[in-house]
Amino acid sequence: MTHPALRRLAAVPPAYYVFVLLLLVLWIARPNMLNPNVMGIFIRQVVPLGILVLGQLLVMRVRSIDLSGGGVILLINYIITSRSFPEASGPAFVAMALGIGGAVGLLNGYMVARRRVSAVIVTLAVSIILVGLVQFLSSGKPPGDVPKYMNQIFDLKWGPVPLPVLFWLGCTACMWLMMQRSVYGRFVEAVGESTEAAAFSGVPVERTVIAAHVLAGLIAAVAALVQTGSIAVGSVRVGLDLPILAVAATILGGVVFGRGEGGVWGPFFGVLSFALLFVVMTVFGIDDAGRLIAQGLIILMAAILYGARARRG
Amino acid sequence: MIAWLRSGFSTRRSRQGLWGVPLVIAVAMVLAQSLGTGQFATRENLFNLVAQAMPLLIAAIGQLFVILVGGLDLSVGSVISFSTAILSLDGPSVVLVPAVFVLAALVGGINGLVITRMGVHPIIATLAMQYILLGITRILRPTSGGKVPDIVIAAVQGSVLGIPLPVIWGLAVIGLAAKVLYGSRFGLHLFGIGGGVAAGMEDAARNHGIRVQRNVILAYVACSLFAALAGVFLAGRIVSGDPNVGLLFELDSITAAAIGGTQLSGGVGSLHGTVLGAIVLALLANGMNLANVSPFVQTAIKGGLLLAIVGLQSRKKMGL
Repeated sequence: MTHPALRRLAAVPPAYYVFVLLLLVLWIARPNMLNPNVMGIFIRQVVPLGILVLGQLLVMRVRSIDLSGGGVILLINYIITSRSFPEASGPAFVAMALGIGGAVGLLNGYMVARRRVSAVIVTLAVSIILVGLVQFLSSGKPPGDVPKYMNQIFDLKWGPVPLPVLFWLGCTACMWLMMQRSVYGRFVEAVGESTEAAAFSGVPVERTVIAAHVLAGLIAAVAALVQTGSIAVGSVRVGLDLPILAVAATILGGVVFGRGEGGVWGPFFGVLSFALLFVVMTVFGIDDAGRLIAQGLIILMAAILYGARARRG
Repeated sequence: MIAWLRSGFSTRRSRQGLWGVPLVIAVAMVLAQSLGTGQFATRENLFNLVAQAMPLLIAAIGQLFVILVGGLDLSVGSVISFSTAILSLDGPSVVLVPAVFVLAALVGGINGLVITRMGVHPIIATLAMQYILLGITRILRPTSGGKVPDIVIAAVQGSVLGIPLPVIWGLAVIGLAAKVLYGSRFGLHLFGIGGGVAAGMEDAARNHGIRVQRNVILAYVACSLFAALAGVFLAGRIVSGDPNVGLLFELDSITAAAIGGTQLSGGVGSLHGTVLGAIVLALLANGMNLANVSPFVQTAIKGGLLLAIVGLQSRKKMGL
């Protein structure tokens, strides 16, 4: 790996390779599926995951992790579908969701940055609390229907492109701009490179980490709204595996605790890879067990490729 | 003795962590429950409690080994389910029982190798293993069923001289872990490696002549072996294989270790603390069951307890 071109190739996040590989497999096996309408529907399904990943990559850049997204999505989904607030309008729900997401993010950030508690433990514990709360409130039964207008917004299209996909692209572009152009983006990068060096250089490390968690909470709330729009009936199990998948997609996209070669678009393609993976699995009739094994192997391979590169560099 | 007890409440001096807090909670819960309900202090309920707590206790002790070196094992739950699935296959018990432990050692070895030799973060490596192993388990046993060898059932459900075997097994496991952690070079090295990692000096242990990679790999092997033992124990209790029986065990085992004062950054923790942590969780479940608290609320309370207790333990490192 001494040749510059080879080194450049090895620096490309695994997500791009996986994406192209899966696209080839699909093109050979089922070329008729590769049209905008079919793909649009499949990609639309992973939009909540894609949005959640934006928060995940932010906290992973500052050497933290957020596994509380599942609980946030579940709680917001429950509040909207259970008709606990029958008079609430659309904007009220949005405000409520953002309030919950921001509060959870603030708690996570405070515990991680100020109290210096392990981020895995904090966010898992928060998720457990929220899931337990929702299951208690609903006694384990599906709450109720999703308001019609949410489904209608989710089903809108702009030409052949579904609106949620456009929204996801927009959010990703915003995040990319923030990481590239804003002072806060620089702070995140500095903290990720080295917490000590950042602190000595005058970067407000604790506030940067807290802000990352608050943003991740708000983003999880947005993901929850999109997720709720994608289903017709509320559920007490919705979104529980999303945080883990988000971590997997982020790693696949080349962002690993503190290191961010993948930027924002690497994880974006990580999510697209998962969308294609689900399609390929369905096409080949691979069941749940095979899907788990494939997911595990992909995470492992991506991490090993990256680990190997880190040691050489 | 007094000084030792006091060390359990101070994070500053102790290498054993804040184990005094779970001790107080455990004693308070025992007192409250025996005063509150007449059913608690009966012999039957106490033995039941031990049998219920045992799988978690064993898994938490395994988790302690990897947490001490600054790692984390999220594949514990899958190893447990996998073990029950293997045990419920058709075959003689002389093959199945050793196979469980050989395969578990293999899983732990792969975890350790991927983490040490390939530089993968422990959370990611063991998360991937959790998925892969769960997939394999679902292929072996898609739904719960099958029959566990009689010898396993007898070893878990029997009793000797009126003492149920789980009590004896529990003491044996704790004794074994105490010997390994406090009475062997390997145990000392685990504390040494973790202490260096927690202080931000990853090379400290290596500079003192400790073979870091080999010891870390062995810690993951030990963790998987304890998880397999927990799986064998559970299989003996439910008499069949179940692909979902280990679900959330990785979380509960981490919770037990954390409640027991084990610091997730490594180097600080104790066997007695972890045992106390597992006992606190078991007492909590037992008490809330007696008081008819909804299982959903129980999960939420468990999460809250974890959050409160780790919030008490300040450390230097920020992040994971």
